[in-house]
Amino acid sequence: RRRSPMVTGTSVLGLKFGGGVMLAADTVGSYGSLARFRGISRLLRVNGSTALGASGDVADFQHLRQLLEQMVIDEELLGDGHSYSPRALHSWLTRVLYNRRSKINPLWNSIVIGGVYGGESFLGYVDMLGVAYEAPSLATGFGAYLAQPLLRAALEREQLPTREEARELLERCLRVLYYRDARSFNRYELAVVTEKGVELEGPLTLEANWDIAHLV
Amino acid sequence: TTIMAVEFDGGVVIGADSRTTSGFYVANRVTDKLTPVHDRIFCCRSGSAADTQAVADAVAYQLAFHSVELEEPPRVRTAARLFQQSCYRYREELSAGIIVAGWDPRRGGQVYVVPMGGLLLRQPFAVGGSGSSYIYGFLDATFQPGMSRSQCQEFVARALALAMVRDGSSGGVIRLAAITKEGVERTVLAGSDLP
Repeated sequence: RRRSPMVTGTSVLGLKFGGGVMLAADTVGSYGSLARFRGISRLLRVNGSTALGASGDVADFQHLRQLLEQMVIDEELLGDGHSYSPRALHSWLTRVLYNRRSKINPLWNSIVIGGVYGGESFLGYVDMLGVAYEAPSLATGFGAYLAQPLLRAALEREQLPTREEARELLERCLRVLYYRDARSFNRYELAVVTEKGVELEGPLTLEANWDIAHLV
Repeated sequence: TTIMAVEFDGGVVIGADSRTTSGFYVANRVTDKLTPVHDRIFCCRSGSAADTQAVADAVAYQLAFHSVELEEPPRVRTAARLFQQSCYRYREELSAGIIVAGWDPRRGGQVYVVPMGGLLLRQPFAVGGSGSSYIYGFLDATFQPGMSRSQCQEFVARALALAMVRDGSSGGVIRLAAITKEGVERTVLAGSDLP
């Protein structure tokens, strides 16, 4: 019967670009207002085609990570050449999270799944209520209010952003979140998924611009 | 409560205050919050005394059994994982913030933290308990990676002393322990010995 989350992570961002998808999240686990754990990774490489990022309760994310890692191992043991697609994982996660919420004992997370499978990019969202959808750009937490408009504006153009443009955009969004989200931190990680696989970069540090302080 | 553990090359230094409170009354002023769960693995307990003692006893039993099966000393990571399994499964019922620290032949000195909620994280050093809030600034400013054993002991003693002054729920004496390949060396800093 639950409850409230304990150690939490803030926004996770996801963006499709020409060639794949990119996820970003900072590396802090907050204990209420205290930035208690500053070296937590909230992005996960699930398999060769999928990456996942979670905000919300970190203990629940660690539990999910164990489930996912075991699933991937079991599948490799089958040795039939198949691996879970990002879409399949998204579907599975939706079932798990929805069923937990139906028992009034949710896994207190909002999750972004991104991947490239069969030449197609996938970007999906699932949260603790079992709400699930796909979109070319995604953000959880504060990001939904501050970053999503910036991401959507960039997608209004004819073509998807390039890898470099996507990276710059995500960094810009993370910077805005660092300025405006009281539970954020300026160290972050990036996951880039292309046909070649999943690359996890980080921890990287954001530079903040405080020039406007002199104008006041 | 204020509890702390720091890794160094060759082992760990752990420390705790000695105050147990029941509301505002100090029920025990000489508590030992540094509890062995195996020869070279200790846990620092914060939160409910009953809960942490119960979990620690269970983990000590599991580790003893496991190490007989393994025919070698258990890993610190295993001990931490056992704590995490109980603390996560029963997270609604328990009030337990635990730091697991020790030495094993495979990875040397290690510190793992299992805070409320039941996540598991390895850190170069960890603090916990109500008194820890008051010393985050001191720790951020003073900690250096690669400290020696005696530097770690001084670091822990100073940090705990500062917390014990400010936190009403922490006080008494500082209990320290240094865990290495050679064994466990326990000391007590009391009264005028406190930094």
